[in-house]
Parts: sequence; structure tokens; C-alpha cells
Amino acid sequence: METIKARFHVDWPGFSLDVDCVLPDRGVTALFGHSGSGKTTLLRCIAGLERARQGFLSFKGEIWQDDTTWRPTHKRPLGYVFQEASLFPHLTALGNLRYGIRRATTEHRVSLDQAVDLLGIGHLLDRKADRLSGGERQRVAIARALAVSPRLLLMDEPLAALDLKRKQEILPYLERLHDELKIPVLYVSHSPDEVARLADHLVAMEDGRIVASGPLVETLARIDLPIRLGEDIGVVLDVVVGERDKTWHLARMDFQGGSLWTRDMGAAAGSRMRVRVLARDVSLTRQLQTQTSIQNLVPARVSAIADDEHPGLALVRIRVGASVLIARLAKRAVAALELSPGQEVWAQVKTVALLE
Amino acid sequence: MKPLKSLLFVCFMLLAVPAHAAKITVAAAADLKFAMDEIVTAFKSANPDEGIDVIYGSSGKFQTQIRQGAPYDLYFSADIGFPRELAKQGFASSEVRPYALGRIVLWSASLDAAQMTMASLADPKISRIAIANPKHAPYGKRAEEALRASGLWEKLEPKLVYGENIAHTAQFVQTGNAQVGIIALSLAVNPELASRGGYWLIPDTLHEPLEQGYIITKRAEGNALAKRFADYMGSKLARAVMVKYGFVLPGENAGK
Amino acid sequence: MLLSGSDMQAIWLTVKLASIVTVILLLVGTPIAWWLVRTGSWWKGPIGAVVALPLVLPPSVLGFYMLLAMGPDGPVGHLTRALGVGPLPFTFWGLVIASVFYSLPFMVQPLQNAFEAIGDRPLEVAATLGASPLDAFFSVVLPLARPGFLTAVIMTFTHTVGEFGVVLMIGGNLPGITRVVSVQIYDHVEALEYGQAHRLAAVMLIFAFLVLLALYAWRPDAKKG
Repeated sequence: METIKARFHVDWPGFSLDVDCVLPDRGVTALFGHSGSGKTTLLRCIAGLERARQGFLSFKGEIWQDDTTWRPTHKRPLGYVFQEASLFPHLTALGNLRYGIRRATTEHRVSLDQAVDLLGIGHLLDRKADRLSGGERQRVAIARALAVSPRLLLMDEPLAALDLKRKQEILPYLERLHDELKIPVLYVSHSPDEVARLADHLVAMEDGRIVASGPLVETLARIDLPIRLGEDIGVVLDVVVGERDKTWHLARMDFQGGSLWTRDMGAAAGSRMRVRVLARDVSLTRQLQTQTSIQNLVPARVSAIADDEHPGLALVRIRVGASVLIARLAKRAVAALELSPGQEVWAQVKTVALLE
Repeated sequence: MKPLKSLLFVCFMLLAVPAHAAKITVAAAADLKFAMDEIVTAFKSANPDEGIDVIYGSSGKFQTQIRQGAPYDLYFSADIGFPRELAKQGFASSEVRPYALGRIVLWSASLDAAQMTMASLADPKISRIAIANPKHAPYGKRAEEALRASGLWEKLEPKLVYGENIAHTAQFVQTGNAQVGIIALSLAVNPELASRGGYWLIPDTLHEPLEQGYIITKRAEGNALAKRFADYMGSKLARAVMVKYGFVLPGENAGK
Repeated sequence: MLLSGSDMQAIWLTVKLASIVTVILLLVGTPIAWWLVRTGSWWKGPIGAVVALPLVLPPSVLGFYMLLAMGPDGPVGHLTRALGVGPLPFTFWGLVIASVFYSLPFMVQPLQNAFEAIGDRPLEVAATLGASPLDAFFSVVLPLARPGFLTAVIMTFTHTVGEFGVVLMIGGNLPGITRVVSVQIYDHVEALEYGQAHRLAAVMLIFAFLVLLALYAWRPDAKKG
């Protein structure tokens, strides 16, 4: 059911936002785009931190903004995680958590203990913000936003201010959030990797407008996305761990229509995972190659061909059973192989990135 | 760097003092303000090359400043006691000369003070009476004496407010914050004050004489201009100005 | 006894005046400072300039205008007469009101700086956690601006203690009512009572030094906050 309806028009010097969208009320929706695309402004409009003069916003049937209604931020049942943790420096971590709980008006769905457990911050509670590392601070900030039992969680690039190590420290917590909390999350990000790992739904933005919107797997499998992704073009596959080869330390990932071998990272057979296959790691052959180092060879059918942003390259969308992969190839190769929609090919997949 | 150059030029111009012109600085009691201005103007028109700066203020403050080496060449005090003390301590290069007797008046900006007497001050309509601070202002001291001599001091003390000097006292009255003030005759006859309300001359039998005196300071010893200006104060013209502004000159009777 | 009865009276009066002025300015200056920081109004410039006026105007100018304004023919004088409270010059409360204006920038400006340093973010965070703007002001802004408040209170108090020109202009030098320490010292000097002037001046000097010492000693803490 799609029940977050948002329509905003903002006109500032040098920037405009013009969106009219319906967002799903469950799962993680990534608002994805390059900086300046308006994704943060859209999030702030939804939170009520920015007031678009012309706007409409309803959440599960409640009007939060229209021509006559304006519900101020503090009366919207939401949690908000800012790019910088923005903990209140005069309070301890626990004081920060309690600040929101004390003012929460929604029914109690997330307990303080639950939020603390989920983010693993039990040992940090009596510290003040300046005694916490960047990653710890952001975990407290996320727990703080959760502890108010929000009906909608808004996250504005919560990992962007952190280095790679801190990101790795927090991502597992965000994934747990995704799995354990049944509230809709709007997640602003400019990182395709984060989006691939966390999102169920993708809203791509550019120049203040929404240019694509839909379920993540489907949307990433489009080759006509009007947004520049460069090396990050690729698809996401939901997989189940099948066989594990103890001799060669490989694991077989089964998806709808085929399977791929990856390094065995220890996941038990039968567990569900998400993998990412980048277009640059997929190549195509007309015949099955046997004399090759590439381990993943899957039969596929070309369904569409489009230009890449680089004039020498093309994006080829191929079907593997019910799933889709994208290959990024030199246009000369496309011509030499005489590729065209409907053609049977073999896809060679060099690397598969495990996301969960 | 043209702006800098012109700035430097301006600075030089400001610093450049015409070397030939003599210049003296006169410290004068505040009650002399109008009379002294006119006398200095007259003196300057007769002696266009001479520079005279006059600074008006409280006599007591000037005494302290002269003792601390202030660059005053002549000191006209509202109370002859101050220059006498300075002379005793060796800060004077001339004998102490009396130049006037001050008189005090009742003055009001809102009531017709010409119709008043000391007894009128007890009128309940008058809620504030301004006098100069008797602790250090000569005119204030005489005001207190006059009030005591009239037997009104105890009764009126709650109504009194104290100005820092006689000009400040007049300001309290002029702005209407005090209905009546006891100020110097020399201020009350000045056109700006005389145009509002009127004044009543307080009989000089009610207070000690307000003898005013001046000295040439030690600093100005041998300064010809200082000597000439002091002499000018005794001239017919200067004396006429003093009388015009309500001062009684030594050896004469109240010209009112 | 080092200080005479009238000296003690002046000290007590000064402390009373400065305390009352500081409390009033805390109540009046805080919303002004907050408004100046938050508003996008065209009035921000003019109001900010008016608040800062006492910083540049000589106290005599301020005192002169107040004497005119509070006098029977002035606008404030008309108002006080209409309210039946009588004229303000030469009264303690007249002095309080004059001092409130005179010390206004010393309360408003440190607070303004403190509020500006806090920025929008903590308020936005508070709003997303369910705090109304007023709630956020008391639960977030006040604690975060505490060093600013400390500075503002100390500056206001000491500046009022050190006030002279305005008091002289509108006070009328009434013992126990408007004769504060600075005026008392001035009177001692004018009356050539140097000994008494010295003792009272020394008290002021020590007081001012201790206050400023405390202020600067606190500062490093404020930075950490």
C-alpha cells in the first residue's frame, strides 16, 4: 500500500524542488541522487523542517500539510537522523535518548532497551557526546530517533560523515533495523553501495526532480535510468545460499533463474542474502567458453541495448530466467558480436559482491 | 597609494601648529560661561593673532587638576578659596585677585519665579528643588546657607535634588524635572534661560558672599598673553560685560 | 571603620540597583537577543542598532535624553503621569529604568553571540524529538547558552555598578536613593576628601578585578561546553 503522498514545490535562488510522489509505507525507501539533487530538501520538507510554500503531504491518511494545514515538526510522529550525529552536548547518551522518549506522543512500540540493544550502545549510556567516537555518536543518534517510537523514520545520509571503517561499524545495525522494525524508513544517500545494501525501494532524484521510482531490484535493472552512475551501474539479486564447497571455499548463490558462485563467507546454507553484480563485471560471449578463469557462466537472453554515458560503451540488459543482469561492453564488441534483443548469449560474471 | 598619501597629508596639517601665534588656556567656573565667551570674543577681535581656549567646569575640579599639573594658564574660580589655597601651595604666579561677587536666584522654567520669595518654596505644588551639590559646588553652599537662614532647610531637604555644578542644576530646572532651582544670577540672565519663567534675586544677607577670584598659574609665569588677558578682565569693556551678566564687581553694589 | 555610613549606604544602593537591573535585563534581554538571532525581519537591523547605541553614545547624551524623556513634558513623563506613578527622575526606579537601557547591549550582545553559536541544528533535532519551540528553548538553548548567560549577567552587573554619567544626569545625587558608589567617589574627589575617595575607589577596583578574574577564569570551560 502506498500511503505517503508528497507534493512540494520550492523555488530558491539557484535551486528548485518540484516533486509529486507516492512513497511506500513499509520497508526502506532510498532517496538517491548526487549532491544538489534535492533529496535532502525533500526529506526536510517531509519532516517539516523546511516549509514549501506550495505543498501537500499526507501520511497514512493524515494530512500533515496542505493549503490550510501545517503540522509543525514536533507534532509529526517521526524520527530523524541527521548527517552529523548532532547529539545534545549538555546531555549524556542516555539523556539524549530520554529527551525524545519523554516527549513522545505515539504509543510505545520501541522501548529504550530495544533501541539500546539494536544499536549496541549499552556501554555508552553515561558518556557525554564529546567522549564518544564518530561512529558511536551516530549509533546513539539513531537509537535516539528510534526511541521516540516513530511511525516514520527519516535518515539523511547517516553514514556520509563517517570514514569507511565507521561505516562498516554501523551498516550491520542499519540492516538489523531494516529487518526488525516494521516502520517505513526514508533513507537519503548518494552511495549506490549503501542503497544496494539497505533499500527496498528506490527514488532517484536529479536537479530537484524525481527521475525514477520503483522497487529497488527492478529499478536498478533498468538501463535507461536518467541518472549518471558510471562504474556503479549494476543490479541487485536476492539470493539463497545453496551448496557450500568446502574444498574450494566457494558458496553457490541461487537466484530466480540461475546461480552464481562466490567466495564462501561463512553464511549457512539456506540463508537469504542480497548480492550485487556490477555491469562492468559482466561480459558476454556467443558461445560457451570453457577455457576461461571465470567461474560463473550463465545462459542468458539479450532483452535491450542502450548507450552508456561514455560514447564508447553500451549497456546490455540480459535476462537470466526471471532475473536481470546488466553488462557494460565496448560498442565495438556489441557490433562485432552482432548483439540484438532476443539473442541467446552466455554471460560471464567475474565478481559478485555479497551485501548481507 | 594615493589615499594613504592624502591621509598622511591631513595628519601633518592637523599637527602643524602655527609657530608664531601665542596661545593660552583659561579654566573658568561654569557660571562664567556666557560672560567669559563674550569677553574672549571682544579680546580676540582686538587681538586677532592671539589664541585663547576657555574650558568651563567645576571650580573644585580645576583646583585639583592644576595641582596635578593641568596645562591651564589662568584659573577663574567661583570661590576665591580655591585659588587662595593654590597660591599658598605655590601653584600661582600672581596674587589672588577677586574679580566678581556671585549672586544666587530662584529660577523656574514653568512658574513665574519673579513673584516668589524663599517662603514660596514650601508650596506643596513644588515637589522638586534643584540646587548645586553643597558638598563641593560654591553656589550650592550659598544655596544651602540661604535656605538655612530662611529657616526652610529642614522642611525642604526632602525636596532637594543636587546638580553636579550650577549649569547641571539649571538643566534640571530647564527640563522641568525640578520646578524651581537656586542657580547663579549670571545664568538666569542669559537669554536662553531668561526667555522661560523668571527669577527672583535672593538677598545677599541670607548667605556668605560668593567671592570669586582668579590667579595666573605658575605654569604661565612670564607669559605675556596671560598677563594681558588678566589685565583685560579689569578693563571697562570687560567689566561692563560682567555687570550685564549679573555679576557684582568688587567695590560696587549689586547693579540689579 | 574604613568606610563611612554614607559610603556603605552607597555600596548597598549600588548592589541593589545592579541586581535589579540584571534581573530585569535577563527577562527583557533574552527574548530580544533570541528574536535578533532568529528573525528574518527587516527590523532586525534597526532594532539591533538601537540596542547597541549605548555602546557608542556618551552616557551624558543618553542621560540628557532620558532627563528630557522622563521629565514632565517628555513622552515617558506623560506616560508615568497617566499611570499615576509620578515623575521618574530623582527616583530609584527612574535610575533602574535608565540603567536597563544603558546596560541593554551588555546583556543582549553576549546572549546574541551565544545563541548564534548554537545554530539551527539543535533546534531542529529537538523538534524532531517532539519538543515545541518554547520547550526546545528551555531544554536545549538555555543549557547550551549557559556560558553566554554567565558572561552577560556579569557584564551587565558590573557595567551597571560602573555607571556614572547617566546616574549623574538623572539621579539628582540623593543619598540612599540615587547616590551610587561612582557618584559618591566623585563627590569625595570634588570635595577634596581624597582619603575617603581612595578607600571607596579601592573597593570598586578590587571588586571589578575579582569579577573580571572570575569571568576569564571561567572562559576555558565555556569553550569546551
